[in-house]
Amino acid sequence: MTLEAFKTSSPLTMGVELELQLVNPTDFDLAAAATDMLHLLARKPFPGDVKPEITESMIEIATDVHTRHDELLEQLRQMRDALVMAGDRLNVAICGGGTHPFQRWFDQRIFAKPRFRELSELYGYLAKQFTVFGQHVHIGCGSADEGLYLLHALNRYLPHFIALSASSPFSQGVDTLFDSARLNSVFAFPLSGRAPFLLQWNEFERNYFAKMEATGVVKSMKDFYWDIRPKPEYGTIELRVCDTPLSVERAAALASYLQALCRMLLQRQEPPPAEDDYLVYNYNRFQACRFGLDGAIVHPKTNENRSLREDILATLRHLTPHAAALDSQPALDELYAVAVHAGNHAGFLRRQYSEQGGVAGVVDAAVRSFRNGRST
Amino acid sequence: MAASLNLILVEIAWPAALALAWVAGEFGRRWLGLPRISSYAIAGFLMASSQGGFLSQPSGEAMVLLTNVALALILFELGYRINLGWLRANPWLGATSVIEAAGTFAVVFFIARIFGQAPIPALLLAALAVPTSPAAVLRVVNELRGSGQVTERTLHLSAFNCVFAVVAFKAVVGYAMLTGNGGVFTAVWNSVVVVLVSAGLGTLFGAAVPGLLRITGGLTHHTTVAFALAVLLLTALTDAFKFSPILAALAFGLVARHRRVLLSQAQRNFGALGDLLTVLLFVFIASTLDWRQVVAGIELGAAVLVARLLVKTGTTTLFARISGLSWRKGALTGVALMPLSVFSMMLLEQTRHLDAKLVANLPGVAAMMLLLNVLGPLATQWALRRAGEAQPGREG
Repeated sequence: MTLEAFKTSSPLTMGVELELQLVNPTDFDLAAAATDMLHLLARKPFPGDVKPEITESMIEIATDVHTRHDELLEQLRQMRDALVMAGDRLNVAICGGGTHPFQRWFDQRIFAKPRFRELSELYGYLAKQFTVFGQHVHIGCGSADEGLYLLHALNRYLPHFIALSASSPFSQGVDTLFDSARLNSVFAFPLSGRAPFLLQWNEFERNYFAKMEATGVVKSMKDFYWDIRPKPEYGTIELRVCDTPLSVERAAALASYLQALCRMLLQRQEPPPAEDDYLVYNYNRFQACRFGLDGAIVHPKTNENRSLREDILATLRHLTPHAAALDSQPALDELYAVAVHAGNHAGFLRRQYSEQGGVAGVVDAAVRSFRNGRST
Repeated sequence: MAASLNLILVEIAWPAALALAWVAGEFGRRWLGLPRISSYAIAGFLMASSQGGFLSQPSGEAMVLLTNVALALILFELGYRINLGWLRANPWLGATSVIEAAGTFAVVFFIARIFGQAPIPALLLAALAVPTSPAAVLRVVNELRGSGQVTERTLHLSAFNCVFAVVAFKAVVGYAMLTGNGGVFTAVWNSVVVVLVSAGLGTLFGAAVPGLLRITGGLTHHTTVAFALAVLLLTALTDAFKFSPILAALAFGLVARHRRVLLSQAQRNFGALGDLLTVLLFVFIASTLDWRQVVAGIELGAAVLVARLLVKTGTTTLFARISGLSWRKGALTGVALMPLSVFSMMLLEQTRHLDAKLVANLPGVAAMMLLLNVLGPLATQWALRRAGEAQPGREG
């Protein structure tokens, strides 16, 4: 099987996928309830797409293709309400968050579907440890080459998305001291990390994908777990570093931030991406995972050391005209508040831990945040 | 010398029986795939003196209190897992519960009458057939690490039908006393007052203990021991005053949960303490059964067993779709509700002091208990596996 052709789509369209946790409302542990939820949801038309994920305690929702923030948010809210209502009927609670704070990976049940069984056999305990929950944002690209350009031009902004979305400070019952412990699980996979620095699609196909395929290591793009990867069948690039936020409101804001950034990058007024940009890539990514908004990053072009928070605030200000053109200023305002005073969801969860006295209280708070859309 | 040796043998009989039952449980699981509690029951039955075994009929107060505590711990945990808010969000679940319990009561009464039972014993048998053994269900669920709709609904329906059973049983006892020679006061006392005070005591504990824990700030570390001690105290208290320890424990768990002090994962089953008391509970209950009574009531017992299974499965299947479940999982929920025994036996045991004649040798009960002691957990295990809700690699 060769790489399928990159289907073009309208530039700057966006779509959101959210991996959500299914939780038992009694002990707040993960509940193997995906089959039951999907059965009930299948009876009525669902306002979007909903499908199983690798373990029985996850469920994935996906929006349609959107151009506007308010419409994206509206659809996410409708999906949220449908899920919450179904969960109530089945005594299942639903929440965001990049990790479940105290689930034990060996207790997770793999969803009965051939691909998931294969993955589970290949990766062994990694597959179950991969019970982590991410937000994926797709941005439509006018051409494959435009997609590759965006993918690499975004390298410098990647830590922004990690720090703003981080919602996984707890793992296996303890505070990991990371704002996003989830990404540490993702990095364990052999084909994770950055995409190779190739800016032409035919070159990518011939000099990279075909060679990788010949090694037998990969069969399709699905086998790559890159931070940003091209998705040829949709004609999009897919940003995969975000933790699932605690609210759909935050998820919509993050997608709109990416949309505005891409609009700016496509005007090509910034210096073009280069292989050397990736020298500081892993360092910056670590800073964002570990310290969130308090991280310190190195600018790949100038080697200047700066606070991640400052960098985000500067970028948000810089994006004002683009947000105006896309009519998405409310989304950027929400992220502005996060960076200035409210903090990310990892901070919120840590406060819940100390106030409610334990990891179960953390999940309780996450469930309420998802249901009410408030998380500060 | 011979006398003292005999005394020693009597002293070690129970610990030896528990050890043997535990071994039987492990081998039964490995070789036959039996849930452990089924093996405990078979072992307890075979070791009892009425079957020619070495276990003398235990009449000691200590033994009864211990089994009461064992069951109370289980009922506390069950109560803690019940979400009353679910009934609000899904009223059809409540409807399933009421119809399933009332249907079982009516059909079993009818069958007992056909078998020529007098009205009062028939009513008592009907009340005893209503509950699903919470001990068996919770045990199997925890051993398989079950999770899903069949698991959740089985636990909830079990808790509800236990409450219905206690109320119905006490009402029948009250009615029997009223029509007998007990007088109005004893009748009311032994039905209405016992039910209300037991539930009230449990509620009081449910409100006070979490409050106490919150003040002491031991929310994350000491909850298991604190709750176990509270259950012990509550059981001793209700037992001493002849109230219902099982109803009190269930109410305690229910209220404690809705007051939200969080039990962590590790404390399911009350850990090793719960495991140990479960062996005791199932061996003790099965050892009180006499094969002669089993044989004498085998036809009635078997008829009740089949009718009970049909009513419960029929109801859960009928209400499956409307309550948000597939037909298949609805039917499996009914099958999972099959276990009976420990709860009903303790209900009987706790009434013995009132009127030994009334509850002694209720026809059909012994046969029903023995059959369901073994078959019930097996049915629950089968249903959870078929529903795909058991953790693979976990044997029951």
